[in-house]
Amino acid sequence: MKVTRREFLVGSGTLIGGLTLSSLGINLEPIIAYADEMKKIDKVRSARQSTSICCYCAVGCGLICSTDTKTGKIINIEGDPEHPINEGTLCAKGAGIFQTTAANEHRLTKVLYRAPYSDNWQEKTWDWAITRIAKNIKATRDASFIAKNSKGQVVNRVETIAHMGSSNVDSEECWLITAMARSLGIVYIDHQARV
Amino acid sequence: MPNGKSILVDTSLCTACRGCQVACKQWNNLPGTKTKQIGTYQNPQDFSAFTWKLVRFAEGKNGNGKPYWYFFSDMCRHCMEPPCAETIQGFVKGGVIRDEATGAVVYTEKTKTVPFEKVRSSCPYDIPRQNPKTKVMAKCTMCIERIKNNMIPACAKSCPTGAVVFGDRSQILAKAEKRVAELKKSYPEAMAINAEDVRVIYIVTDDPQKYWKHAAA
Amino acid sequence: MTNHWIDLQHSDVVLIQGSNAAENHPISFKWLMKAKERGAKIIHVDPRFTRTSARADFHTSLRSGTDIAFLGGMIKYILENEKYFKDYVVNYTNASFIVDERFDFKDGLFSGYDPTTRKYDKSTWAYKKDANGIPEKDFTLQNPRCVFQLLKKHYSRYDLEKVSSITGTPVGDLKTVYEMYSSTGVKDKAGTVMYALGQTQHTTAVQNIRTLCMIQLLLGNIGICGGGVNAMRGEPNVQGSTDFAILSSYIPGYLPAPQASLKTLDEYLKRITPKSADPRSANWQQNYPKYMVSLLKAWYGDKATKENDFGYSWVPKLDDGQDCTILNMIDNMYEKKIKGLIVIAQNPTVSLPNADKVREAMTHLDWFVHVNIFDNETASFWKGPGLDPKKIKTEVFLLPAAASVEKQGSQANSGRWVQWKYEAAKAPGDAIYTGDIVIRMVTKLKELYKKEGGATPEPILNLKWDYADEKGRFDPLKVARTVNGYFLEDITIGDKTYKKGECVPSFTLLQADGKTSSGCWINSGSFAQDGTNLMARRKKDDPTGLGLYPQWSWAWPVNRRIIYNRASVDLSGKPYNPKRPLLAWVDGKWVGDVPDGPWPPMEDTKNGKYPFIMKPDGVSSLFGPGLGDGPFPEHYEPLEGPMAKNLLSSQMNSPIIKIFTKECDKYARCDPRFPFVMTTYSSTEHWCTGAITRWQSWLTEAQPQVYVEISEELAQIQGIKNGEKVKVESARGSLTCVAMVTTRFRPFKCGDQIIHQVGMTYNYGWLFPRDCGDTANLLTPTVGEGNTGTPEYKAFMVNVKKV
Repeated sequence: MKVTRREFLVGSGTLIGGLTLSSLGINLEPIIAYADEMKKIDKVRSARQSTSICCYCAVGCGLICSTDTKTGKIINIEGDPEHPINEGTLCAKGAGIFQTTAANEHRLTKVLYRAPYSDNWQEKTWDWAITRIAKNIKATRDASFIAKNSKGQVVNRVETIAHMGSSNVDSEECWLITAMARSLGIVYIDHQARV
Repeated sequence: MPNGKSILVDTSLCTACRGCQVACKQWNNLPGTKTKQIGTYQNPQDFSAFTWKLVRFAEGKNGNGKPYWYFFSDMCRHCMEPPCAETIQGFVKGGVIRDEATGAVVYTEKTKTVPFEKVRSSCPYDIPRQNPKTKVMAKCTMCIERIKNNMIPACAKSCPTGAVVFGDRSQILAKAEKRVAELKKSYPEAMAINAEDVRVIYIVTDDPQKYWKHAAA
Repeated sequence: MTNHWIDLQHSDVVLIQGSNAAENHPISFKWLMKAKERGAKIIHVDPRFTRTSARADFHTSLRSGTDIAFLGGMIKYILENEKYFKDYVVNYTNASFIVDERFDFKDGLFSGYDPTTRKYDKSTWAYKKDANGIPEKDFTLQNPRCVFQLLKKHYSRYDLEKVSSITGTPVGDLKTVYEMYSSTGVKDKAGTVMYALGQTQHTTAVQNIRTLCMIQLLLGNIGICGGGVNAMRGEPNVQGSTDFAILSSYIPGYLPAPQASLKTLDEYLKRITPKSADPRSANWQQNYPKYMVSLLKAWYGDKATKENDFGYSWVPKLDDGQDCTILNMIDNMYEKKIKGLIVIAQNPTVSLPNADKVREAMTHLDWFVHVNIFDNETASFWKGPGLDPKKIKTEVFLLPAAASVEKQGSQANSGRWVQWKYEAAKAPGDAIYTGDIVIRMVTKLKELYKKEGGATPEPILNLKWDYADEKGRFDPLKVARTVNGYFLEDITIGDKTYKKGECVPSFTLLQADGKTSSGCWINSGSFAQDGTNLMARRKKDDPTGLGLYPQWSWAWPVNRRIIYNRASVDLSGKPYNPKRPLLAWVDGKWVGDVPDGPWPPMEDTKNGKYPFIMKPDGVSSLFGPGLGDGPFPEHYEPLEGPMAKNLLSSQMNSPIIKIFTKECDKYARCDPRFPFVMTTYSSTEHWCTGAITRWQSWLTEAQPQVYVEISEELAQIQGIKNGEKVKVESARGSLTCVAMVTTRFRPFKCGDQIIHQVGMTYNYGWLFPRDCGDTANLLTPTVGEGNTGTPEYKAFMVNVKKV
């Protein structure tokens, strides 16, 4: 959703009076030590602003993400001053969410596969991995599916496959996960809600 | 506003959530440094060229035997008459900007030619640091670029409890006075530290030395 | 939460017990400090003095695992000093209900216990009913068999000295807390309780929380502004994931998972739909058949018909009494009974108890699929410390996922606000939405089953699966609308007609005859009839001025911001506290928050209904026969504890907990080898196992390595200095870490015993950074709470020695 510049720029924690550009004295551009900051403020001002919600503790603080329209990359994440719960403020984890983005070199960007008895990862394609995973699931399920229990009651379940997670994905994804698990007959289903 | 800007750091409202510490890093693209756990929640242990906002932790026991844990979100005081600026200006022109509108004290690249120890020791709060490679001196800029663009400093924006508040100096001074009067009802030692001399004013409820040895000038 | 985050500002006294809110829900303190500005007092009860304690008005500590003793003492205080809100207790709780003659409690056990099965026969935990099947009541609360008097009798044993000996909390501190908190038992004061995993991670967890609820009910604090029982959930969307039931015991919307003995849909619906003979009870659960049928239609679409029981047989069934919760899952993995495992965005080899058992269990898998944004100890389990990859056969798939800010979708916060967020950027490289991964997996499986056949393919082939956009990508809005629900044909309900394909604007319109579908009834209403996404709203209107913001986002159920709110008014519908008018009956209708049911106040003897509409009796439960371990909370010791005896009874531990008996599960109670109580927790700077945060330099800089917090007294006894390396050991495992010697832990005086307690975060794992340490869960025991199986991470025994 597009956030207006005014919404983005207003912050709480201020007793600010009027401040206009013309009152800011000398032009710092040629001599400021931190040219990076100068570039950043310009980039942030001209970026696409969108809203999100913090991915940590369940207070559900609002975020404003600034995305560089040229590169498509997020360049800044701060609190959303309009959000009634956090009013633009964030704790250490929320304040650092930028380090969960593509800017973090440790982000997984390839499908990885570890073969039996191997000591390393190999890169694979999605198609290869999904096909192989589906074949594994089917083979395990078909080998041990329990249509009826010892009492002759219809149970249609499988006890040799288990699923865990997640409270860290969006609700729509949770709903698909639970639909997937149940349609396969999985009964060992659990996640962070219990843990 | 003729008297510029100020920041009020009210330690009695602080929960040491480190939002300010990380928000400063995030805005200024400062790297996280390698640290060790030495038996305290505080990390890094000190300012550096890469840490301009540092939440200090100090614990002990009160007279009644109950524990206390004081949080001190340390940063450059942006003094009214900054001794570091005087020292730098003695060596090079244009090494430090004193912004007219806000009063922010901002180092420039030209500080790399200035003897660092002289600048550091001139500061009663032990704030100035130096990048070991480039020799450029570094500290909080009061997020001057954000202010110029009608935003507030990253630390003040991040603070959930209003422990770090940015505003016109006159309003901040009034707020500090009111708060200290209120706190004195429960904490007779409450004070605003060096309020006349600095733009970044700390409110404490106990002897400043208990928070950090350089908390007060 | 029954209330919500902003509402905390309206409390007069806040009890934070079983939570370290300033550290783990930091922004909650924005609202708590506002409460303080208005004169509120904050009480923090915690074994440690933490960042929360530093901002509280009063802190005291208790030995981990003794909350019921502490709070039972408060119940005794409230009853004896008549601090309860009488009108509320009489009208809105079951205090007046007469209990069955056969119900009894003796020496730690309630009537009906079978020590061989370790289960209760609960038939004596019943009410005396009149000829109409309605519970008999004594509104004077004098009848010795009424709940109120039985409550008094039960907690008469929790006197100050006894409680102090169990908890280690000084008598003076107990009195201070009881006095401060029970001052909210009056009309114009609100008390709130805030709790988190400090209550849930015990073998008595559910009863811990029950005790808090009972205190709130006695004081009239539920349903009001500034009150409530505020569970602070711990994960960004654990509320959503719980609502949508990634759990074995529920299906979406808290409908029970069907059991094998319920062979038909009818039998299932009969079992899950409680009956009430009292016409004044709304008994909202009587609507469950509508929600179950609508769910089946959401799952199976047109394939679910009346003729095939709407696909009921395709839903997997547990055998009666079968327990598939997490500790049993791991135990079965350990026994090589589980061949394949899917783990999405979770790090169980660091987060589950008895980590060595979990890590061993992983090596028994044939195949393992993991989805995440970074690598972690679970994905890379096969190269963990002490393991030889050449001996581990597991095929492992590590699938790269989009991060939260790279995804459009909803997240439900602890306050039940279901908030919509947007995609700020595409995920890097080959990473995709988790939703896309699930869609691809199921699509492939359908393909394979269609082509090859296999074991009972119907549940897979018949699963409705059209959640992709025209480019084949996961479409979160499609799923969200499915969850909200549709009318499947034109239908007239009351005087309104709804068209086929329109969004169901409220679960009150869902049907049991297959004409509606809804993936989760409590989310029904998140879309307006015309398809507007109410979760994405950003209007800051606040008509009550109480911070409800009814047009910012959307809350379940039906955008009600404080639940049980019809308990905030008296029988005539006037707010008990006119200064905080959450709800009021004015000129024949409710004004304020969305009322908990449209019926008039109870003064209307014909149409008025009791306020607790989800309970069959319509009133809240002081006597709670629904749980497995007793209708009244009773103090039991943790499985692994320092006491030779339970000072309250001969029953040492909760009588229904499952004890695992493998060699790797051993526990040591009152054992000189492990003399100190230990508790585990998190920190502000790291997130749970650190699987996301340890890869972030700003956070790891602030909290780089694992540490154990120990008191100065204990440090002196063990000869440990601050910052020194120490080894922490339990009956299950050990790890080395840095000692943090602190004033913030103190020894507990429990009767004649001095008991030391230590604590550690579980934020670290062996993978990254290399030197950060490993998980505190190498130490924790394999035992779970009796009703839910939640592990007891919060209280067990260790030794701490210099290395």
